[in-house]
Amino acid sequence: MTPLAVHGNMGPDTYQIASHRLSPMPAGKVVFRRSGGVVYLTLDRPRTGNRLSADMADALLQWCPALDQDPTVRLVVLTGRGACFSCGWEPLRPGQGPVRAAGALAAVHKPIIAAVNGDCTDQGLELALACDIRVAVPEARFGLTHTAHGLIPWDGGTQRLSRLLGPARAMEMLLLAELVDGQQAYQMGLVHRLAESGELWDVVEEVASRILGGASVALAYAKEAVHHGMDMTLEQGLRLEADLNFILHSTSDRAEGIRSFLERRSPRFTGE
Amino acid sequence: MSTFETIKYEKDGGIASITLNRPGVLNAYNMQMRDEMYQVLEAVQDDPEVAGVLLSGAGERAFCAGADLTEFGTAPSQVIARQVRWERDVWGLMASIPQPMVAALHGYVLGSGVEIAALCDLRVAAEDAVFGLPEVTLGMVPAAGGSQTLPRLVGRGVALEMLLTSRRLDAREALRVCLVHRVVPRERLMEEALGLLHRVLSHPPAAVRAIKEAVRRGADMPLAEALDLEWRLAMALASGRGIVKS
Repeated sequence: MTPLAVHGNMGPDTYQIASHRLSPMPAGKVVFRRSGGVVYLTLDRPRTGNRLSADMADALLQWCPALDQDPTVRLVVLTGRGACFSCGWEPLRPGQGPVRAAGALAAVHKPIIAAVNGDCTDQGLELALACDIRVAVPEARFGLTHTAHGLIPWDGGTQRLSRLLGPARAMEMLLLAELVDGQQAYQMGLVHRLAESGELWDVVEEVASRILGGASVALAYAKEAVHHGMDMTLEQGLRLEADLNFILHSTSDRAEGIRSFLERRSPRFTGE
Repeated sequence: MSTFETIKYEKDGGIASITLNRPGVLNAYNMQMRDEMYQVLEAVQDDPEVAGVLLSGAGERAFCAGADLTEFGTAPSQVIARQVRWERDVWGLMASIPQPMVAALHGYVLGSGVEIAALCDLRVAAEDAVFGLPEVTLGMVPAAGGSQTLPRLVGRGVALEMLLTSRRLDAREALRVCLVHRVVPRERLMEEALGLLHRVLSHPPAAVRAIKEAVRRGADMPLAEALDLEWRLAMALASGRGIVKS
């Protein structure tokens, strides 16, 4: 399956929002495609390295809550069109606030995979950091270079990077403002899976199918337990986890999960 | 000490050995094991003769392959289940026990198995160990603290991947992501785990306990407060050893 080839096709099942913003090429767009329960969002502005424009940020800000509320969407994959995932940032203009969208991705309760098809720097990396699982090609480069330009990241980079890698690695990347390659990113834990060249989508599909084997509410609660629990003391986090478990007692998917295990068959989850 | 059915408990030279002992069902964690673990851990934490704890699984195939699902769904209500959870908070007890705990891990280390290991201080794995969190494929989330302890151990990136994809990690990968501290040949597992515990116990016990307290409680504090905690613990030890005057 090569989703990149068909990303331009917005079928009738796409959301009817923000479409008026998606036409002018220089402003860039985010292409939305659905395949079963998976939504593919493709950052599409290849002439500027898919860097996030105001229109693209608007699209993410509107789509993320919409697909979060759509019970038929089970998983989101974020990727970039062409050679880059997303690099750099939109020039800052006086009187205009900087563009931001990572928060909208991070607020989605469903799992999000970043399919890092190429360089992933600056705001592009900040978007990838708001995803749950990062799969990358080895030639992709990663980094936050704001410091070299007298700036610091503004789309969550300083916070999500240090929470992901620990302060030592994060400080090194932020202060040196240098890029690391895919192999280094994998070694430091920035990337979960490194795909051989040409096999990015095979690995993404493998990760996606594993996630789709889980029950929707359990997946959302696992994500919530980790992200919210990490802002709490351990004791508070343990209470959150326990309470989420007791709420899951009321779901039919949990009953089906137990039944299918005892009957040695695959579960048939309904999302309820 | 009474005899237990689901665990083995031995005390030898300051080391308490707790063995999960339901090898016929891959040491699956059930309610009786919960009650017996709670009983034994409560005794251990107050036992001045116990300097350290070694936790392992009986049989050839597993440390612990998870919770015993045959007992799931037997709680009369969510309210009762929640009440029981905190009446015998075996995970909270493990997380707060003052003595160092080393886990010796082999074979299947799944679900609660990973979570029990994560509640120990040091983890030694045999080369045949396999780690995984299959909860979401059963419509659940971890219930023995895994969603909290694991991201604190291996970072939230790895923890999320394990939780959301339920992918299994072999011992080598577990070492790479720092889920375990050592990987050793299967036949040397108990010896190496015991050796590691002995190395910890070669230090004065008060210092070992203070380290556990500083790391565990400090992790939940703002840095300035945690540095204050460290200072107080360090000075209490130093004055206890006559190095500084209290």
